[in-house]
Amino acid sequence: MKSLRPFLATYGTALAGLCVVLVFAVLSPVFLKPANLAIILRETAFLGILSLGFTLALTTAELDLSIADVASLAAVVTGALVHGGFGAPAAVAAGLTIGLVCGLANGAVVTRLAMPSLIATLGVAAIAKGLGFMITQGVAFVGRWPTSFTGLARGSLFGLSNLVWWLIAVGFAAWVLLGWTRTGAHLRATGEAEEAARLAGVRTGRMKRLGLAACGLAAGLTGVLLASSLSSAAPNMAGDHFLYAIAAVLLGMTMFEPGRPNVAGTIVAAFSLKALGNGLVLVGAAYYVQDIVLGGVIIASVALSAGALGRAAFVEKLSFRRP
Amino acid sequence: MNQISRRGLMGGALALSTVALAGGGVAAAADFNLAIVAFQMSSETHARAANAAAAAAKAKGWTTTILNSEGSLPKHSEQLETLIQAKPSAIVIAMGKPVEAEEQLKKARDAGIPVIMVMSGASPHILFDIEANEYKVGAEAALWLFGQMGFRGNILAARFDGNVGTRIRGRLLDAVLAENTGIKVLASHSMARTQSWRDDVRQGMQTLLLQHGAAVEGLWASFDGQAFVVDDILKAQGKKKGEIKFVSIDGGQETYRRIADPESTLQATVAIPFEAMGEKAVEALERIVVKKEPKTALTAGPYLFMDAALVDATNVEKFLK
Repeated sequence: MKSLRPFLATYGTALAGLCVVLVFAVLSPVFLKPANLAIILRETAFLGILSLGFTLALTTAELDLSIADVASLAAVVTGALVHGGFGAPAAVAAGLTIGLVCGLANGAVVTRLAMPSLIATLGVAAIAKGLGFMITQGVAFVGRWPTSFTGLARGSLFGLSNLVWWLIAVGFAAWVLLGWTRTGAHLRATGEAEEAARLAGVRTGRMKRLGLAACGLAAGLTGVLLASSLSSAAPNMAGDHFLYAIAAVLLGMTMFEPGRPNVAGTIVAAFSLKALGNGLVLVGAAYYVQDIVLGGVIIASVALSAGALGRAAFVEKLSFRRP
Repeated sequence: MNQISRRGLMGGALALSTVALAGGGVAAAADFNLAIVAFQMSSETHARAANAAAAAAKAKGWTTTILNSEGSLPKHSEQLETLIQAKPSAIVIAMGKPVEAEEQLKKARDAGIPVIMVMSGASPHILFDIEANEYKVGAEAALWLFGQMGFRGNILAARFDGNVGTRIRGRLLDAVLAENTGIKVLASHSMARTQSWRDDVRQGMQTLLLQHGAAVEGLWASFDGQAFVVDDILKAQGKKKGEIKFVSIDGGQETYRRIADPESTLQATVAIPFEAMGEKAVEALERIVVKKEPKTALTAGPYLFMDAALVDATNVEKFLK
């Protein structure tokens, strides 16, 4: 029994998620069908990519509350260009640049002005939201856009949706960065013991800027893929993902590397949240039941890992204290 | 209790509660399974259409599921994708987005799932869209207001261009204005589509009313929710009913109560029959899917129009419940 403890501590939440999947597999004959699993994977891509960005920011103990608004702004800029007849490469580059610039702005405000990321990113979120409405005047860009653009999200490769390939690519890049590079080690050291890292020669300010810039870039990519998938761009189109992205990262911190933002945990958590939403629709649960269950999952996930999360460095940020 | 056993217990409880809550949805299996998707249940009009459709379906003994897309396009398309896998007998979509969700609507058609939309717009992949003719509605509201003002005077407009229906109403206001040059628009406030839109309307219209003061003789609001906010501002300013002619569009019990209330400044609305539209969607599905009547027995075109009624002091009692 003693030897089981470390296993449960590391994989307990993932096993609970697996239980939920099994429950839906029993309740709905459709749930485990390949077509339905493909839908869950595709929907996981948006949330997963956005959450992976948040994971990188949180690794440096900084919160990015602007992810959804930055993703929406990137979608709007991309959509405006495609709608205006620009080619897909230019539109995609513009969307990604918007995300990166917002991320760099977050990093600059946090490190240069020594402002808590909670406040700085809220400010950037408000600006991004305002710009989104300014560009669209509240009216979404909608149209039959060229397949060179919509194919980014709607196409497939080797039988797998392009969205899933995007998630795999971003996940792999984040995993390599955090687990296999010196920069990744510096990102973690900055988040877990900033002062010690600084004294050891790590340029902690640069690491924070890198984490937040990567987060912005991920938000930009999410916005581009959302616009491509829906053939439309509206100023609040990624808003729905905001809380779920945070929930996915927190839920991810309860598995594989408890207490630490980690790539595998985030992806599994994003998949679990999407599987839960999908399963509830399939079994005919009313919309309010879905909200109640999802809310319960978020609370339970944080409660499960309260000890580990309490030790995590980002808790300091929530209490507005600077080291 | 150590952390591991607590984790196990909570995980188990989570899974069990999921089963218990979700199980209610599968217990009552029926032959006809109607899925209803409302784009944003927090919007009264969306909820009225969706709830009326659900009530009508339940009255027929059908199994119903209501989904709420929470105003999110990605969630809307995701829910439709999942529903197609669940293969319901039919889908009713209230205030959906047929262009953005075209891929999903096509998949539903290919899967043989009939779809009827309510106040959403046309799509080649659905049976039809049940609509009030927004062009007619917009013109009727503008003409009522201008008529009350004797086709002369100054108005303020509370607009909302982020929704196709309210945008058409605004364009019709402009069209009627173009033919009635005695009416001048002093200023307009365009509402942003945000969750705090009421604050946005309050701040914007409060400023315009302060700026133009006694020069304002008429008020046009693109939907009743905006009108309620403006009505509350005017009441706080001590305005009496009729001092400023005031029209809006949508209808509903709160609107009728305000029209009948001498303390309120709201005078008229063009009432769109959202409940009747939801019920009509269910009735149409019964005729087409269950009784196998041809679609053309109900409508030839992509729309099935339902009449909206102008409600003011002369007939409001008929609408009050």
